[in-house]
Parts: sequence; structure tokens; C-alpha cells
Amino acid sequence: MSWRQTRNDASTARPIASRPMSRTPRPYALAVGYVATSLAASLILQTSSRFPTPFPSLYLFAVALAAWNGGPGPALLSIVLSVLCLDYFFLPPLYSLQLTLDEVPVVIVFLLFGGLITRFSDVRRRVERDLRDARDRLQAEVVVRTEQASLLDLTHDTIFVRDMDDVITYWNHGAQELYGWSAEEARGQRAHELLRTTFPVAVDEIRAELLGRGRWDGELTNTTATGTRVVVASRCSLRRDHLGHPVAVMETNNDITERKRWEDDIRGLNRELAQRSTELEAINKELEAFAYSVSHDLRAPLRHMSGYAELLQKTAGAALDAKGQRFMATILESAKRMGDLIDDLLAFSRIGRAETRWTHVDMNQLVADVVAELRRDTAGRDIAWNVGHIPACDGDRSMLRLVLLNLLSNAVKFTRGRPRAVIQIGCLSASNGEVVVFVRDNGAGFDMRYVHKLFGVFQRLHRADAFEGTGIGLATVQRIIHRHGGTVRGEGVVDQGATFTFSIPKRATLEGGA
Amino acid sequence: MTSIGRILMVEDDPKDVELTLTALEDYNLANEVVVTGDGEEALDFLYYRGKWASRPRENPAVMLLDLKLPKVDGLEVLRQVKSDENLHLIPVVVLTSSREEKDLVTSYRLGVNAYVVKPVDFHEFVNAIRELGVFWAVINAAPPGSVRK
Repeated sequence: MSWRQTRNDASTARPIASRPMSRTPRPYALAVGYVATSLAASLILQTSSRFPTPFPSLYLFAVALAAWNGGPGPALLSIVLSVLCLDYFFLPPLYSLQLTLDEVPVVIVFLLFGGLITRFSDVRRRVERDLRDARDRLQAEVVVRTEQASLLDLTHDTIFVRDMDDVITYWNHGAQELYGWSAEEARGQRAHELLRTTFPVAVDEIRAELLGRGRWDGELTNTTATGTRVVVASRCSLRRDHLGHPVAVMETNNDITERKRWEDDIRGLNRELAQRSTELEAINKELEAFAYSVSHDLRAPLRHMSGYAELLQKTAGAALDAKGQRFMATILESAKRMGDLIDDLLAFSRIGRAETRWTHVDMNQLVADVVAELRRDTAGRDIAWNVGHIPACDGDRSMLRLVLLNLLSNAVKFTRGRPRAVIQIGCLSASNGEVVVFVRDNGAGFDMRYVHKLFGVFQRLHRADAFEGTGIGLATVQRIIHRHGGTVRGEGVVDQGATFTFSIPKRATLEGGA
Repeated sequence: MTSIGRILMVEDDPKDVELTLTALEDYNLANEVVVTGDGEEALDFLYYRGKWASRPRENPAVMLLDLKLPKVDGLEVLRQVKSDENLHLIPVVVLTSSREEKDLVTSYRLGVNAYVVKPVDFHEFVNAIRELGVFWAVINAAPPGSVRK
């Protein structure tokens, strides 16, 4: 009973604490107890007439028990006590510690037996202690390893380990999630047979790099348990044992199927975009060639019509009557108008093709320049110019000049019938990062029912005999303002005037510094 | 027409040629004009080749050059003239229908002396030609080696 108790104590105690346990007084008390019990048993046996001779071997039990439970110290104590008891109670002269020569061999044999038992018992105890320590260390190791393994299970990455024969030895939770096989199903299988891996390069090449560099990175295609193909970014690391021999490969795979699909999509879109852009470029080139041809080839016949009509007038003018003269004048006028139309149309198409050259534009200066130019052309007319302050903004200076020139010359043109023309230009607001400019006149105005035609190419709201023009000015204005990322609108009342409002961003955001 | 060739005109359109000559007639400059119908012939004239092999060794006082020409186009003629040591001093006036900025910029890069867009209106056209003719052939002091009056 009691020795089992002691052993239990030792096994629950920490390995290092088990050594001082044997030095505590308790095993010594037990040793004394064992000897006392043996003494009692011997005395009882001696009183019985059937066993008159003493039993020294009974004390060997006490020594054995003391050595077993307490180690050499208590064993030595029990040996000494046992010898004393034997000598005192059983060896003559009785009840004295005196020793006769006859008893010496008995005592020596007893001491030898006791010593042997103590020695064997001690060796056994030491072996047991070492075994226990080793077991405890192993247990602690297992705990740490298990924790580490469960950490690998925590990651979302797919991690598995395969030996040098490609057989799976470890398979984490992420691997189960991605591929669909549990660790039990996967372990023992050949990794790339199970996953039906497609390699980007020859397997031998990968193996060579793994052995050489200790790692390999690349993209692999695997097949999951459900037969789905997945693309993974794979990182393989080689593990070597303490002798440097390769023993295993840890493969960490990241599912990039979705990313690859996006990349493919983006590549596809880019290709499409490039193709569209090439097409657009071709169309633009064609348009340019067309405009060039119009510019060159359409004007020449007009020049000839005009030129030869003029020459005819010069040589045969005298022979023509008034009607003939009028016809001649009409031919000349039409040729000239056709020339103007071609020029305006070309200018309009050029705005579409020209690059916008963004600069900081001083609008006040620009307005002043345009007004000054128009003043020169309208000498003799009574025009009141009310020019307000306009904040600077970003844009193509020459294009914005064209906007102002078109709007202001329209104002000049359509106020021609007024004894006193009033033309206003100013800024309505300059918030939200844009400048809103208005041009107002008290001229002929227009019917708001036709406002949708106002900015169309070759659209005119006035008869040619009332106001001349090609109908391309406002279309040009709109195209320029749109290119600047702004808006333009017109409001008018017949015979009361018109107001044109356009907005341009203060800071260029559309095309950068192009 | 016995031309002394102070004005070299490179123009493929006979109507334009006629109108131009008409315009220059009033100033008695028409007979000074040598007309070549395309770029190649113009270069033959300048380099004394082919039918121009025996003409006097003198450069024209001015060259009126159309851009759109058969065979060798105007810009190529301009490039060759301006990169030739013996010819680059000849004043070259591009006289064209094209208002294209591309042509304008290229011409100036190549070193043109003036760029005139032919007006559709006859009066303007005549005036432009006359002014050109008078300025370059009469008023302007031609560079050394040019045909003298």
C-alpha cells in the first residue's frame, strides 16, 4: 500500500522534483517501520514453539522494501537497524549488542545480501527515473509539435508535405479546403498523381532547382476532388535531415484561379481596347486624309470657277446685259460661299482632330483681345460693350479664343438691326471648380422652339438674306467646350436678344498636360 | 514665250497655271515664269537635267511651289532644294490649296521662305500672286547666283 502511494507521488510530480522526494525524512521513517515490523514478526515467530530459530531473512525483506521505496539511504539505515536488532534480540548473548566470533559470518552474509539488494534496487530506481524523464520530455515535445501542427491548420494557405517519393506525409486544413480530400484520404498518396498537376516546366527541372537552391516558385494547375481545375501560386521548400540529405518537400499553394481569370479578362479587354484604338486611329487617319483631300481638291475647282468667271467678265463683260452681269455675280458669289463653307467645315473638323494644349488662360486678357478685334471691324456702329471680370481657368488658349470670337461676333452680327447694340460678357459663377461665362446681347434673338438645332453643324435659325453665315460657329463652340469637359447652352427670345452660357473647369482634369 | 526663268513655277494644274500667268501679266512678269508640271521636272530644271541640260547656269530668283504634285511631291522638292548647298538660297514660296497645319509646319521645318494659301476668290488670288511675283522677283534682292533682271 504505502510504496504504491510513494510511486504515485513521484509520477505526478515534475521530473526534477522527484529526486529531492527520496531525501525527505519519510522514507527513513518507513525504513524504521519496516525494520520494526520485521522485528515484531521475528519476535512473534520466536514465541511460537514451532519456529524456535531466528529468521535473519525477514530483515532482508525490510531492507529490500526500504531500498525499493527510499533508495540507498533508507536501505543503509534499515541494514544498520536490522543488524542491531538481530544482534540484540536473537544472537547470544541475548539482549546485548555484544558480538561473538561465531556470529560474525552471519552478520557479514546479512550485510552482503543487504548491500546487494540496495545496489540492485538503486540501479533499478535510476533506470526508472531516466525512463520517466525521457517520457516526460517526449510528452512535452508532442505538445509543442501538436501546437505547431495545429497552427499550420489555422492558415488559409494550402500546405502539404511530401517525401522524396512524392508521397504525402502532411496535409493541412487549407489543403483539405482547396482540394476536397481530408488529411486521412490524402496521406500516403502520391501528391501530383492525386492532384493531377500540370507543371509549367519539366518536372526534372523543378526537382533540380529544388535540390540545388532548396526552393522553387511557380504556377501549377491542379485538379480538386470534384474535378475542378485550379491554378495555384506554388512555393516548394526542401527539407533536409541533420546529415544534409533531402527528406521532404513542403509545398505551399495559393489559389489564384480567380486572379488568373481576372488577369485573362483584363488582358482580353486590353486587347480589345488596343484593337479599338487601332481602328479609331485608322478611322482618324482616314478622316485626316479625307479632310486633306477636301482641303486640296475641292477648293481648286472653285478657284477655277471663280477665276474663269472673272476672266470672262473681264473679256466679255461689255457684251453682257444686266441679267448676264447678275448671273455672273451669282456664280462668283456662290463659289465664294462654297469656299467659305469648305473652310469652316475644315476648321470644325480640325478642332476634333487637334490635340488640346492645356495652359493657364487669362480670360480677361482673352476677352479684351477679342473685343478689341471686333471693335476694329465694327467701326461706325454704336455698340455698348459691358465686359465683367472673368476668373482665369485652364484650357487651350487658341480654342477658347475661338469660342469667345464666335459668341461675340454672333452677338455683333445679330444686333446689327439695333440703333444701339448692348453686348454683355461676364462670369455668372465660379464655384464647384468651374467658371461659368455668359454672353448676352439685345439682338434678333431666336425662337426657343428651335433651340435643339442651335448647335448643329450647318444649322441656321435665320434666313441667309437676313444674317449671313455658314451655321458652323456654334457647333464649333460646342465642340470646343465639350473637349474642355464643360457644357454650353443658349437662351433667346425673338427680337429681344440671346444669352449663351458656357462652363469650363478651373483646373484641367480631363487630359492632364497633354 | 521666251522665258528668262526668274520665276520657277511648279504646278500641275494647267488652269492654276493660266490664272497665275494672267495675274502676273499685268506686271509683265508672265514671261519670266518657267512652268514645270511636277516635282521631278522641277528638280530636272534645278539640276540642269534632261531638257534643261543646256539652260544657263543660274538659279531662279524665286520658286513658286505647289505641294500636291504628281511623281515627286512639293514637300520632297522643298526638302531637296533646302538641303542642297547650291540651291538652298533660292527663296521658295509654297503656293497651295492646303490650309492643313501639318503641311504648314512641315514646310517651315524644311525651311520654306513663305507659305501662301491660294484664295478661292479670284481677286484675292490675283492680288496674292501679283504681290508674290512683284516682291520676290522685283523688290527682293535675290541671292548671289540667281538670274538677274
